Amino acid sequence: MRDADDELLTELGEAVRDAADVPARFIDAGKAAFAWRTVDEELAMLAYDSATVGADAAVVTRADPAALRALTFVSSELTVEVEVTPDALLGQLVPPQAGEVELRTRTGESHTAAVDAVGWFVLRPVPAEMFRLHVRPASGPEVLTAWVTL
Amino acid sequence: MIATVRDDPAVVDLVERARGGDRSAWDEIVERYAPLVWSTCRRFNLTGADVDDVGACVWLRLVEGLATLREPAALPGWLATTTRRECLHLLRGKRRQVPAELQDSVDDTAPASDEWLLGQERRIALRSAFGTLSDRCRELLSMLFREPPASYAEISEAMDMPIGAIGPSRQRCLKRLRDTPEFTALLDEPPDGTDRS
Repeated sequence: MRDADDELLTELGEAVRDAADVPARFIDAGKAAFAWRTVDEELAMLAYDSATVGADAAVVTRADPAALRALTFVSSELTVEVEVTPDALLGQLVPPQAGEVELRTRTGESHTAAVDAVGWFVLRPVPAEMFRLHVRPASGPEVLTAWVTL
Repeated sequence: MIATVRDDPAVVDLVERARGGDRSAWDEIVERYAPLVWSTCRRFNLTGADVDDVGACVWLRLVEGLATLREPAALPGWLATTTRRECLHLLRGKRRQVPAELQDSVDDTAPASDEWLLGQERRIALRSAFGTLSDRCRELLSMLFREPPASYAEISEAMDMPIGAIGPSRQRCLKRLRDTPEFTALLDEPPDGTDRS
């Protein structure tokens, strides 16, 4: 007859095997992600995402091409508004100011666009993978947005 | 009942140390929770490079989220939800089917299935508790829960232990496991409540 010890041993075996199934490369990649920790730049959190507003938003964004995805990132001194069109990211810094903005994908690709005097910028193409924006205003602290996948 | 796992002070400590830049604390977080992220991906039938992709996104989000995670103790739930969102995103991008039993979770703002998550948290706690045991206990228990389990003769030889001592050692090691704070956090009742009568 199985007693509590037998059951615990079985459960423990399952738990330990679960962990043993995870490949070392998966764990190593996780550990390496720590290098992306940001210390100097201020982080602008995702404060609004049109895709997560409403219960069926995930379905709506895919089914309705007319509904543009809109994102708002907020830090203490700067707000970054982004609208996603089929071929570009259209952005606006609030308060409006000049500078440059760099889009970095998680695999290390990067491209930079100028931000004009009224805080407007265009980034092409629309990234297919997870990315973040690094905003460097002409004056004031640099801001890094949260990671986002479109 | 086992929701108390979420208050695990070890998690809070790890998150706070990683926030402060302690790489070893981060490594421990990854080792502790990689099986949770991995199993979540496997539930979505993801394999190979897809799992690696999702994992990379999840860990980057966590590195970023360290500073702002309001309740470090809720980390397992946060990880499960974030992983699920990344899985759904990847499946949608590839226009692949979401497994039928996970259809309910297509709403990617809903929390992960509690029952499944609690089971995962229980396994995380069991592994942590196991990790605190002596080398000898871990070796013995590993041979016993192996599939198929090692015979007593095999254990006796490998561990240089009389066959008659294996049963009592097994009992003692499992009691130590039950007495760990990691394990007692899993229970409503005092540890070994049934054995003390």
